[in-house]
Amino acid sequence: MNALLPDIATILPTLLGGLQISLTLTFFSLLFGLPFGMLFSFGVTADNKIFRYISVFFVEVGRGAPALVLLQLMYYGLPNVQITLTSLVSACLALVWTTAAYTAELIRGGIQSVPHGEIEGSDALGMSVRDRLRFIVIPQGMRIALPSLMGFAVLLFQATSLAYTVAVPELMSQAYSTGSSTFKYLPAFIAAGLLYAAISIPATWLSVLTEKRLSRHL
Amino acid sequence: MSHTAPTKIRNVVQVRNLAKAYGDNVVLRDVSLSVPEGSVTAMIGPSGAGKSTVLRCMNLLEKPDSGEIEIDGHVINARKKISPKNLAALRRSAGMVFQHFNLFPHMTVLRNISLPQERILGRSRDEANTKTMELLTRMGLGDKADHYPARCSGGQQQRIAIARALALGPRVMLFDEPTSALDPEVGVEVLEVMKELASEGMTMVVVTHEMGFAANVSNELVVMADGCIIESGDPRQIMSDPQHERTRRFLRAVLER
Amino acid sequence: MQMLQAIAVGLPLTILVTILALAIGTVLAIPLVAGLRSGNRLVWLLTRGTIDLLRGIPPVVWLFILYYGVSIGALRMSALQAAVIGLGLVAAAYLAEIFRGAIGSVHQGQWEASSALGFRTGTAWGRVIGPQAWRTAIPAYTTYGIGLLKDSSIASTIGVAEIVFMSNQYARQSGEGILVFFIAAGIYILLSMPLGMLSRHLDTKMRKAVAR
Repeated sequence: MNALLPDIATILPTLLGGLQISLTLTFFSLLFGLPFGMLFSFGVTADNKIFRYISVFFVEVGRGAPALVLLQLMYYGLPNVQITLTSLVSACLALVWTTAAYTAELIRGGIQSVPHGEIEGSDALGMSVRDRLRFIVIPQGMRIALPSLMGFAVLLFQATSLAYTVAVPELMSQAYSTGSSTFKYLPAFIAAGLLYAAISIPATWLSVLTEKRLSRHL
Repeated sequence: MSHTAPTKIRNVVQVRNLAKAYGDNVVLRDVSLSVPEGSVTAMIGPSGAGKSTVLRCMNLLEKPDSGEIEIDGHVINARKKISPKNLAALRRSAGMVFQHFNLFPHMTVLRNISLPQERILGRSRDEANTKTMELLTRMGLGDKADHYPARCSGGQQQRIAIARALALGPRVMLFDEPTSALDPEVGVEVLEVMKELASEGMTMVVVTHEMGFAANVSNELVVMADGCIIESGDPRQIMSDPQHERTRRFLRAVLER
Repeated sequence: MQMLQAIAVGLPLTILVTILALAIGTVLAIPLVAGLRSGNRLVWLLTRGTIDLLRGIPPVVWLFILYYGVSIGALRMSALQAAVIGLGLVAAAYLAEIFRGAIGSVHQGQWEASSALGFRTGTAWGRVIGPQAWRTAIPAYTTYGIGLLKDSSIASTIGVAEIVFMSNQYARQSGEGILVFFIAAGIYILLSMPLGMLSRHLDTKMRKAVAR
């Protein structure tokens, strides 16, 4: 037990490279996932049947299946249809899917909770439907959805830890290899846990703070 | 009731044979109403009488089942297809003030008033902002331009909402219980602004529970009950000598409180 | 058909892990809520820190810490124990927040009315505040339960033979990855559907009851 702290201190810096990959994976999943989330948020209630069915499929499977299953599907499954991707790219694809599915629902929720009075206000002023979407509904909806989108980003960052199962050399995978080569499993995983916590906890506080801030002048 | 207005004065608003029902619940049955230019029409009556619905039908926030609405020459018939162009023109002619203000919370006071001018009238940002500041100063709110609505009191928010509607240069202002969500003392600020507007000759239709305003400021009183106009005419005359039993009952209930 | 059978072998463990973790989480959430509502600054701070740490570290890391790292004497935890305890601890932290929010949403007037009627604290909790808070918490609670069902898949990483573990094994054997994992995904969706419907049903029932 006495050796635990020094061990953690020694291992921690060696994991920073892995953390960087975890963060990169998070960043690209959000970068590509959010636009699809926005698209699907309109798609699930679209009049166009094909667009709607495609949106519903991606949202329902993306939310209904564990991220771990999507990761394995992309990594072990895509070679079946003659698509071979690097582990990083396939992990990214899986997490883009997860991101799009969850954020679609969050954005839709935000847009639906734009108060009806504001929409009437813009109608009474004679705004066009397009202007109403552009200036009132989307900005207000995104503001309402922002705290929960930030909360999702934290969960997504944590979910990148599952990418070690498909051989992405991220934080968890680095901790595992350190553990198995030195047999110092406990300090290695605690060090990894601390690094995840060091990002997740302040980020969660930030989302709570944002929520309080925004609710002040909503 | 058009006979009460001298014929040479033009009617800014004409409502003809308006009817509306939600399922079996009939809210308006055959309502007709003319609003002469420069007049202030107050609409009173028990809750559920259909006053707000008439007002909200005037700019098509609610679509009547049948009837015709004409504002400043733009005619919309509920039974015919409504062209977006015609609707926009009609709404531009009518400024609306809501009970709960309905300002846009994510924009500053300045943007709340300037954005509609830019988007609907095509004014440049500078032009719009100049107009906005002029209106805000007139309302005594020049220092609030950069605040968000939530940081303003209810009375201030309502005056901002009035400025937002006025900025588009409407031919008629529609007020839907503009003081009902405010404390009586704060409501006075808003009523003062409305009085000033009336004295400047703005055509106004006001759904209200403020009997003082109805008696002293308006020059046309419309009493509604059960989806019908039961009485209309000179405010003082109706209040001192109501012709209809339903009006008498309503006035007694309001005044004896 | 053979494929479906091979995957379905993991079903009992998926359900077992989910239910046990939810049970542990629900029980442990209660002292955490008490700590969050405590007037003692130190107790509050310790509880807050515990919840933040439990939520701030990904579940898979907790499972690995428990499975590989914790030994009592020569005795190591079994994979199933580590999975259930790890997921249960994380669940406790999330459920504590859900319960705290639900209790906070009960109107202050309900406390005042209870005191005015002379209820003791225990009676007020048991008869007035508790039932109202629980009704409010149900939708979030079932949503978390569905989330936990999916998170139970993480147990596969330490070798609990649940659905994903079995799928993985079959995929490697047969080389039919795409179909195997689509079926696995389908099973999770099918499992969470009745839970989601139940949640919505309870929610509408609750709204109606309150509206009446």
